[in-house]
Amino acid sequence: MKILVCIKQVPDMESRFKPAASGVWYDESDLAWRMNEYDEYAVEQAVQLREQLGEGCELTVLSIGPDRVGEAIKKALAMGCDRGVHVQDDAAATKDPWQIAGIIAAYAKDQGYDFIFTGMQSQDRGSAQVGVTVAEDLGYACATTLVGFAFADGTVTARRELEGGIKGIVKLTTPALVTCQLGLNIPRYPTLPNIMKAKKKEIQAIAVAELLKEEALAATVSFHPPAKKGGGIVLEGEMGTLVDQLMGILKEKTTVLR
Amino acid sequence: MEATREIYWNIGHGVVLPMYVLSLFAVGMLVWGFWKRLPLYNLGKPLDRFDRYDERVKRMVGEVLGQVKVSRVTEGGLFHSLFFWGFLTLFVGTIIIMFQADLFTPFLHVNLLSGEFYKAFSLVLDLGGSVALVMLGGLFVRRFIKKPEGLEIVQDDYIIHQLLFAILLTGFLIEGARMAVTELTQNPGLAIYSPVGYVAAHLFTSFDEPSIRTTHKVLWWLHFALVLGFFCAIPYSKLRHIVTTSLNAFFAPLEPKGSIGTINMEDESIEQFGAAKVTDLTWKDIFDADACTSCKRCQDRCPAYTTDKPLSPMKLIQQIGEVAQTEPGADLCTTVSQDVLWSCTTCRACQDICPANNEHVNKILEMRRNLTLMEGAFPGDEVRTAIANIEVNGNPFGLAFASRGEWAGNLPVTLMESGEEVDILYFVGCYASFDKRNREIAKSFVSICHAAGVKVGILGKEEKCCGEPARKLGNEYLYQMTAAENIELIKGHGVKKIVTTCPHCFNTLSRDYKDLGLEVPVEHYSTYLHGLLNKGALKLTPEPFVATYHDSCYVGRYMDIIDQPRSILKQAGGQIREMEKSGFDSFCCGAGGGRILAEEKLGTKISEKRVKMAQETGAPLLVSNCPFCLTMFEDGIKTGGAEGVIVVRDLAEIIAERIIIS
Amino acid sequence: MKTLLIGEYREGKLLDSSYELFGFAGQLGAETTMLVVGSESQLPAFDGKLYLADVASCGEYNPDLHKQLILDTIQKENPDYVVFLHSSYGWDLAPRVAAKLKVAQVSEVIGLADGGFEVGCCNAKMRRTVKPSTARAVITIQAGAFPVTPLGGSPSVEKISATVTSNVSFAGYEPAEAKDVDLTRAEVIVTAGRGIGKKENVEVIAALAKALGGELGASRPVVDAGWVEHSHQVGTTGQTVSPKLYIACGVSGAIQHLAGMKKSDFIVAINKDKDAPIGEVADVLVVADVLQFVPALTAKL
Repeated sequence: MKILVCIKQVPDMESRFKPAASGVWYDESDLAWRMNEYDEYAVEQAVQLREQLGEGCELTVLSIGPDRVGEAIKKALAMGCDRGVHVQDDAAATKDPWQIAGIIAAYAKDQGYDFIFTGMQSQDRGSAQVGVTVAEDLGYACATTLVGFAFADGTVTARRELEGGIKGIVKLTTPALVTCQLGLNIPRYPTLPNIMKAKKKEIQAIAVAELLKEEALAATVSFHPPAKKGGGIVLEGEMGTLVDQLMGILKEKTTVLR
Repeated sequence: MEATREIYWNIGHGVVLPMYVLSLFAVGMLVWGFWKRLPLYNLGKPLDRFDRYDERVKRMVGEVLGQVKVSRVTEGGLFHSLFFWGFLTLFVGTIIIMFQADLFTPFLHVNLLSGEFYKAFSLVLDLGGSVALVMLGGLFVRRFIKKPEGLEIVQDDYIIHQLLFAILLTGFLIEGARMAVTELTQNPGLAIYSPVGYVAAHLFTSFDEPSIRTTHKVLWWLHFALVLGFFCAIPYSKLRHIVTTSLNAFFAPLEPKGSIGTINMEDESIEQFGAAKVTDLTWKDIFDADACTSCKRCQDRCPAYTTDKPLSPMKLIQQIGEVAQTEPGADLCTTVSQDVLWSCTTCRACQDICPANNEHVNKILEMRRNLTLMEGAFPGDEVRTAIANIEVNGNPFGLAFASRGEWAGNLPVTLMESGEEVDILYFVGCYASFDKRNREIAKSFVSICHAAGVKVGILGKEEKCCGEPARKLGNEYLYQMTAAENIELIKGHGVKKIVTTCPHCFNTLSRDYKDLGLEVPVEHYSTYLHGLLNKGALKLTPEPFVATYHDSCYVGRYMDIIDQPRSILKQAGGQIREMEKSGFDSFCCGAGGGRILAEEKLGTKISEKRVKMAQETGAPLLVSNCPFCLTMFEDGIKTGGAEGVIVVRDLAEIIAERIIIS
Repeated sequence: MKTLLIGEYREGKLLDSSYELFGFAGQLGAETTMLVVGSESQLPAFDGKLYLADVASCGEYNPDLHKQLILDTIQKENPDYVVFLHSSYGWDLAPRVAAKLKVAQVSEVIGLADGGFEVGCCNAKMRRTVKPSTARAVITIQAGAFPVTPLGGSPSVEKISATVTSNVSFAGYEPAEAKDVDLTRAEVIVTAGRGIGKKENVEVIAALAKALGGELGASRPVVDAGWVEHSHQVGTTGQTVSPKLYIACGVSGAIQHLAGMKKSDFIVAINKDKDAPIGEVADVLVVADVLQFVPALTAKL
């Protein structure tokens, strides 16, 4: 059995984002980087499956991006992935989901993966497209936003999270791709021996040019802060007026008062 | 008539050979008993505690003969010390008699035990014996009648009390019997130098001499047998502490307090980090269990135990010994339980008071290392998040690292990256950098330094968590990662002196970072400001106020900084009302040992307990000098219903209000 | 301009949010055609063309089949935009359609912008304007971002069907757990802080939460004091939340609390103290007595 887990390195969401000179993405200075939260669930689930399947199973972690993504790959290796693939691309942030999915699909096409795990979306771009698109490209069975995963007798039983806390139970036959949501598992904290071992694991470097065959289908034309937020308003004064003022603001700026 | 006595009176010299053979046998039993215990200690890993021999011997002699640590606690402790000195006097007296009878008299033909010396000798021994007897009585009343909370009574206690009582009593009765026949009639002037014997002798005066002699002989042999029994019992009962606790004064660490073994992360041969089994601990850790006297002083002072958490430092020490004896292969952390291990605040109150020099804190840290580094365990999900935050953003809050220096605003501080020369590097720490309340400490400290003409540099966004909470939770890897970055940074800026406002940063930078190659002098601001005041660089306008001062564990107990903060407060116009637990006996706020990151789910809140102690002084102000303490007390005041009764402020805030800007 | 709107059914019922699709199309000024996998008894009310596949035979979740139905309809209708809700149904299905068509997809659109579509990014802290490079595009719209637009009327229905083989099969729904409260999913949270004074006043805050259709949250001191259950606690030691609206009542804003709620879309703080740290993250700080202001607000709702 072969498993692939795809991860992205993203800025910590506590960071302060400011547009880069290009105006279409964020400036990378003063950002702290980490593995995309949803991808952590994907890695954990992949590692659990790998442990379930035991010997003879190989789990590969793949990430696309500049040198810094090596850190995210190392973390996944420390969590229990067997080998890493680093698709080297300093301009990954300018690629649209179609291209990113194309790169992954091009890599995975002839590898015969039985399972592919991805996060449900990235925290920075949030398109929620790459996983499903890879599955379409490869012709894999696919289910999104998993909060439950089980594999037995050749069938994946997935619990999808729907609105209002309802779950949808879906069965998939392999090869299958699933995208992972918060609540699927608690990602393990890598133990020190595993961190040490991870340092010796192979990380295969592939230039993005070898895998990129697609043109972008959509373009980001602007990256900017929300129009209004920031610099909170302070309301002071007579009680009745205050209530009306707040009601007005809530109607204007939120979707909850209708 | 000469003041002396006939040794072996009524017993005869024929007893010498059997007596020595039997004594040798008893001593042999004692040695053999410990010899058999050696493999138990050898289960532990090697550790060199035989270096700096003379220092160790000196300390041992001082602590054992001086009973320095034992007598720190009056009840029980002082009784024990007096008993010890009394019993020791008798023991030394007996040895002198042996030397006189079987060495000096037959071979050197001199009699030391005569004249004025003999009178003094008799008196001292009698007084020693009576002190021992009275103290034994006191200890008896304490243990069996008063029964202090937490003091367990085991079978050993009954046997030891009876044995010691019998030894002392038979000793005096033998003396009395001998004196009834001899001194009382033949040399009454001498008899008064054995006051207890004098009284005892009168018990026998109504009997005829042959009966007294028979009784004397019987008592002599009984006394002798009891003493032999005492020796033989040492390795097999609580009495073993006579040997083990004394030896622990020799084995106690000589490193600075709070030193923790730094794991060599480059060593690829290490397969086990921390202690999963008792065999992963050192021999000293197992030996400590034998040195423990169950005095429960640690337990009485433990902030976790006294707020109904499952940790008892005493039980932990003993449990390690039990596991070593019964199943050394067992999973130690499970046996001890994670709840016990995570409850420790590393406040060091246990270790500080322990008369046996046991090392509680590092044992817990070794087990935590196993939990964290080998099992990826955390005391709670909130800690998991905080640790991840330190990894990503260099602070436990997960706030953007780039905003770390923003507290300084327009204050007169120099960013080290500017390359400008500064007098001190202020290592701000996470709490004073990010937490609104604690930022007041940083701002106050900077304004004080400015008034004193000190140019302050900060690392700003380059600074990272010092790694202390992570390290105390067992995460040596994360600690060394962030430490390495800080050290490289500090070295790169050519820093000459570092001052911290956080005692945890202070301990870590000044002591722990040394192991990783940082040699820059580090000072806590309590001593630094004290120095500025003494030099006259800093001048204050004293305004009277009444306050109680909380000794942060990592300032007081760990670093012996007790007087300087108090002196500063007094110079600022403060009148200090001490809490009952202060100085070296201070009671933790609950935040140490990484607990600042954890929710206090078990028992009652440590911070509330400490706030209550502060309230009891009647002072309206509680002064601390640690961001963790301040955070805990702000919380404890709110949740403990002390709002409006007492407020907590940092030392720096008090001083900043009274500076004279020249 | 022409849009094909993909409506949604859940457990046999048309979801109201499907009407938000009309709101989007309305803003775009586009013609609308809708496709639903639903039932004749529950048709969306609008005057226009409705492609209807029978949910009984097609299933509510059957992505390969639904994809085929949509692709077939696109062939007939030739729309410029295929529009889904950014829901568990939409985000699952939309990329399948986009990939098959090899057209651009713009996800979770919150508005129209000059030259493209406005989408949130970086945990809603920032915005992007995305422009499809392809003539046709697939769009998913954020729930609540566009007005529910009830048009009324009855559609002209064209029944459609398709057959595909699929290696994905739906095995049923699992009802939501009867959990006490899951703040991470709440759209509105009204939090009680220590400023409410005493346990009895929790009711005042809970009433506002109820009026807004939200959940009651609590700061740590309130939970520690036993006024509110721990499951309601917001903060690093409770739950980390990001609702659309967060109202902090008498919460001063300890750092642990701020860390747990600052990602909320819109934050209102009600506090007597103008300088309370909660003001740093609040979009609106109402300087008032919580116990006077909150009941007055509740009464107006």
